[in-house]
Amino acid sequence: MAIKTTSHQLPYLGYGLGLRVEHYESLLEEPGNVEWLEIVSENYMIPGGRPLIWLEKFRERFPLVMHGVSLSIGSTDSLDDDYLARLCALARRVEPAWISDHLCWTGVQGVNLHDLMPLPYTEEALTHVVDRVRRVQDVLGRRILLENVSSYIRFADAQLTEWQFLAAVAERADCLILLDINNIYVSAHNHGFSPLDYLDGIPASRVQQFHLAGHENGEQLLIDTHDAPIIDDVWQLYLEAVRRYGRISTMIERDDHMPPLAELLAELDYARMLAKPLLQAAA
Amino acid sequence: MSLQEFQQQIMQAVLAEESPRLPELHGDARADAATRMAIYRNGYRVRLRDSLRTEFAGLGHLMGRRFNAMLESYIEAHPSMHYNIRWHGAGVAAFLGYSRPWQASPELAEMASLDWAISTTFDAANEPVLAAADLIHVPADAWANLRLRPQNHLQILSVQHNVDAFRRAADSNSKRPRLRRHAKVCHLLVWRHSLTVRYRTVNTDELSALTGAIKEESFAALCERLCEFHEPADALPRMASLLHQWLADGLISSWSMQ
Repeated sequence: MAIKTTSHQLPYLGYGLGLRVEHYESLLEEPGNVEWLEIVSENYMIPGGRPLIWLEKFRERFPLVMHGVSLSIGSTDSLDDDYLARLCALARRVEPAWISDHLCWTGVQGVNLHDLMPLPYTEEALTHVVDRVRRVQDVLGRRILLENVSSYIRFADAQLTEWQFLAAVAERADCLILLDINNIYVSAHNHGFSPLDYLDGIPASRVQQFHLAGHENGEQLLIDTHDAPIIDDVWQLYLEAVRRYGRISTMIERDDHMPPLAELLAELDYARMLAKPLLQAAA
Repeated sequence: MSLQEFQQQIMQAVLAEESPRLPELHGDARADAATRMAIYRNGYRVRLRDSLRTEFAGLGHLMGRRFNAMLESYIEAHPSMHYNIRWHGAGVAAFLGYSRPWQASPELAEMASLDWAISTTFDAANEPVLAAADLIHVPADAWANLRLRPQNHLQILSVQHNVDAFRRAADSNSKRPRLRRHAKVCHLLVWRHSLTVRYRTVNTDELSALTGAIKEESFAALCERLCEFHEPADALPRMASLLHQWLADGLISSWSMQ
């Protein structure tokens, strides 16, 4: 597929969706306004079978990007060589526009918590993560994107804010940023910081992709479930992000309670409609 | 405290049945530290439970209300060690075979073995599938030395209960069948045909011939194996019948001469 290019370091892809099994058939039959797809890398790091057949069909029709959940870039365990080898093999197969994962750790001592655990925002953690991002980028032969995660726990010894930490990782390791707008909103609520301060603290030149998603209202905290429609406050924060960073490849990431494809296409249209006046004014 | 020590403490707090108080974590007016940590503790267990439910559909059908209690005890006993959450299920059959009270019900481990075989066959490596037409040009006098190579991914399970009926019922949302113990051990073949995972029982003569094929024995040797179950005159027709079925089932990937 031909890819529109912009002044960003990587191609601008437009508006996309996370590829999910529930939408395989409808996406091929009536893709609507979907311009690109994000795959969950681990779902296709497998020897063979039906998922890879589907993947090939989507690869022929859409620009793809790879989004992982298990790189565990912040873990103090050694980098998982087997994981990296499989990630490289998948990248050779998919030829994605880019590869992303999360600024987090998923376990230590060989255990996997299957969660995006936040790091303590300390100089020690920063040095550790920067070194590992560089090593991963050397292995992959390309820069990666790191995504901000939603978080619930608060660290007594934090020396940096989350956005200072993310920005410093990106600058020092020379990687790019995937900003999940919903995650900023959720964490801002849970930790009592301003989401606009967060946006202001992220260097625009590093931002390559946006995620948009929904969340759940817990009794005391917001829970990042990615299983609901995007709420108005998150749409407003998205506008603030567009105002600051301009034209950024944007996608809707729904992970559970999967609605019909048409519902996500409508959300994607809404994102386009919201951003259009700002982007036209900036052009 | 180092980053490594910090991560070990957090992980242990997620895994522990009762979360310890961690002075490194703060609460605030919105939620205290324990409430915040509980989101990770609950999330870990919910994700593993949901994944196991998906992978062990037959076991869920067989165990009914006991299924959740078993999953909880397995999750507490076995932290996940693989980046792909599906692989946490690799130890379920063994767990059911040795842990109380489940070990007293051997059908549970058998059921888990079948569910897991189906799961791992789903995304096994792709291999070519031999068609009958591919064998047309084998000269008549060469058949004795012909070696058939079955698909690498096929699995043969030994069971004493009708666990395949439970898996079938689970997949079709049918009523739970009655559990039956076979008079003697039966064998289930699990494989993938045209991207669809299939399973069926195999008779002892087919099991013997299939085992010979897996060991790369010659076609003549496979016929000799069948002589243990049939009159010599009937062995070749039976082998021809089995080969016909194996090809129709997509069980054979290639052939060779040695």
